[in-house]
Amino acid sequence: MKQMMLGNEAVARGAFEGGVAFGSGYPGTPSTEILEYLAPYENVVVQWAPNEKVGLEVAMGASLAGVRALVTMKHVGLNVAADPFFSASYMGVNGGLVVVSADDPAMHSSQNEQDNRWLAKAAKVVMVEPSDAEEARWMTREAFALSEQFDTPVLFRMTTRVCHQTAVVNLEDPLEAPARGYKKDIPKYVLLPGHGRLRRHEVEKRLLAAAAFGNESDRWNPVFEGSADVGIITSGVSFSYVRETMPEASILKLGLTNPLPFERIKRFAETVKKVIVVEELDPYLEEQVRAAGVDATGQSLRPYFGELNLPLLEEALLGEARNKVTVSLADVEIPRRPPTLCPGCGHRPVFKVLRDMRIHVMGDIGCYTLGALKPLGAMESCLCMGGSVGMAEGLERFGGPDLEGRVVGVIGDSTFFHSGIAGLVDMVMNGSKATVLILDNATTAMTGAQPNPGSGVDIRGAPAPRLDPADVCRGVGVKRVVVVEPYDMENLEEVFAEELAAPEVSVVIVRAPCVLNEGVTFAEPVELDLELCNQCGLCIRVGCMAIREKDGYPEILADLCNGCGVCVQVCSEGALTIPEKVGA
Amino acid sequence: MEKDGITNVLLSGVGGQGILTASRLLAMAALHRGFDVKMSEVHGMSQRGGNVDTHVRIGEAVPSPMIPKGGAHFLVSFEKLEALRYLDYLRPDGVAFVNRLEISPLTLALKQPNYVDDVDRILDEKAPHLIWVDGTEMARELGDVRMVNVIMLGALATRLPFLEEADWEAAVKERFAKPKVREAVANAFRKGAEVCPGR
Ligand SMILES: Cc1ncc(C[n+]2csc(CCOP(=O)(O)OP(=O)(O)O)c2C)c(N)n1
Repeated sequence: MKQMMLGNEAVARGAFEGGVAFGSGYPGTPSTEILEYLAPYENVVVQWAPNEKVGLEVAMGASLAGVRALVTMKHVGLNVAADPFFSASYMGVNGGLVVVSADDPAMHSSQNEQDNRWLAKAAKVVMVEPSDAEEARWMTREAFALSEQFDTPVLFRMTTRVCHQTAVVNLEDPLEAPARGYKKDIPKYVLLPGHGRLRRHEVEKRLLAAAAFGNESDRWNPVFEGSADVGIITSGVSFSYVRETMPEASILKLGLTNPLPFERIKRFAETVKKVIVVEELDPYLEEQVRAAGVDATGQSLRPYFGELNLPLLEEALLGEARNKVTVSLADVEIPRRPPTLCPGCGHRPVFKVLRDMRIHVMGDIGCYTLGALKPLGAMESCLCMGGSVGMAEGLERFGGPDLEGRVVGVIGDSTFFHSGIAGLVDMVMNGSKATVLILDNATTAMTGAQPNPGSGVDIRGAPAPRLDPADVCRGVGVKRVVVVEPYDMENLEEVFAEELAAPEVSVVIVRAPCVLNEGVTFAEPVELDLELCNQCGLCIRVGCMAIREKDGYPEILADLCNGCGVCVQVCSEGALTIPEKVGA
Repeated sequence: MEKDGITNVLLSGVGGQGILTASRLLAMAALHRGFDVKMSEVHGMSQRGGNVDTHVRIGEAVPSPMIPKGGAHFLVSFEKLEALRYLDYLRPDGVAFVNRLEISPLTLALKQPNYVDDVDRILDEKAPHLIWVDGTEMARELGDVRMVNVIMLGALATRLPFLEEADWEAAVKERFAKPKVREAVANAFRKGAEVCPGR
């Protein structure tokens, strides 16, 4: 049966067909929908983990128990999970284990553009790369068996354009994958140095075996025979661009990209006059192909970073793009439309107050990172998930008198549970005086409202235990924990001032439900009396989509306004009023 | 269908306008007719009030999911600025359907208007073939502004002779479960088609 499916949905389908019993992971674009699509399947346990490391660890336990397991994350998530990932390579598996890394070339929704193919090579595990949604399905389906065959976690490496393409997928019946049962095996599963040294040999043997398999596999590493003039070696979404740019070329399409099938690559190279490697991001294939003694070009023909696309590849391979751009936009300045905080969002008043107080904000990753953008401009760093807490501690300690009592770390609730807690422990144990604000909207908003440990529901929406961040903070030894709601900005400023002045660690939990959450009710839209407006522009500067400029005056867009009242509080003329607050 | 066998439709607008649903309906109708389809969509950061585009490619065999600049047969824009932003994707014979709606990006300061003056004229001048659609207005008349996406689709459908009524019906049936919604969608689709008579 054929069906249109998102690439990520196809991974979930493939996992189901492949007999997966357990799915875990942490949200992150472009990987998030995989677990969401897996959750409705019956007989599969699917759960969000607080972070990628834990997700992988639980999956390793499931694998040892003898069932097939899937773990999903975005590329930077694999950094968090790198510790178990690298050693799981030595431990091997019992039930098949597939780890999805969704990379984000061009950084559509990410802080960096790292190429995780290197991590498969460094960890010495088998890597699979699908090029479209249908391959995402069948390769997932069969990756569990590969994992079991070579006794290794499989890194399933996707990119944004495979995750977020919707294409035709052929559904198949699920495979039989009976649970294998747990078998105690101390030398294999206890990575003491002595055991690890023995396992090290097994890792090398696995790589040889997997390379031999890849050398002979027409299914995973097919050759598309064509003209002998050019032979192209490629993988992932790049293959689809190659197919379209040069349908007549000979192509070696690699579905298994670690270990590389060098024999097959050499055999292919001998059939063509010239070898070109086409890939996105780093010259991962090219460097290895050349090191193996094959004369090839690749990166010199394309940009060093960002995504590949048809015109780029046509220019590289054919000399010019097939489609001429005939409409010029050079003479118009088109304003950008960057993402912004939603009208009524509880993050907005926090940044408005911090900006007015001229506090230095070490930020973190989530919707609230948008507080760094104009007109709020109230965040001064954003490094990695959980990074705000440690960075605030370091900046406060070494920033000199100017920064004393003027530094906060700002972190979302999901991010706090993910990796902020350990930073807070560091603050407590080392006597930091910095302040941490936890923006608690009870969800993981940025990635589309996935539940987190503080949400009280699971991935299927069923009730689940709810962890209160305030309890966690007290539990790790923070004495000053204050909980406030953000919409009363005068109060917010008082609380911030008091906690910043305190000569010890303090945490302010700013609590307001995400306005995109179902069940949140709003006040009536704000009303504007133009007679009273003095055109000062302060309301515009709170950065809300529901207020725009019209003929030199503000205008309230009633369709968008949630009546949160933030703009009302900044107006000194009383021109803005809230008709009646029904509560938010 | 074109010589190279692939028809490219780019849809653009602002997050929350129902662009993804419209794109999915188009893709599903094409699959129903037996075509290969690839579509590329946006999720994540860019959805928070940012601009959104989806690429839909329909043909006998479609390898890659992205439309090249200068390669779109159709641009379906739900907002004027977002029509302008993607205009260079159009082929010389490409047709743009533009919803008559302005949503300004976030205003940063009172004295800084944040739109393109004269956007209608610029669009008319630059687009090789442009069809204005009063989509938002028509949807309002139908009593549901969210229907603007289906209205735009109905307009586009008049220029896609390789898809038949049965294909659209099948797509709507697959996408929407409630008979009432299906009926409303079918009605909005017909209204959209009336924008481009003679096909
Ligand atoms: C290691 C890592 N994993 C996942 C992500 C993707 N990601 C970005 S922000 C975010 C969570 C944001 O949730 P929260 O902290 O609650 O803030 P909110 O968006 O709700 O304001 C996630 C999962 C990431 N950037 N890095």
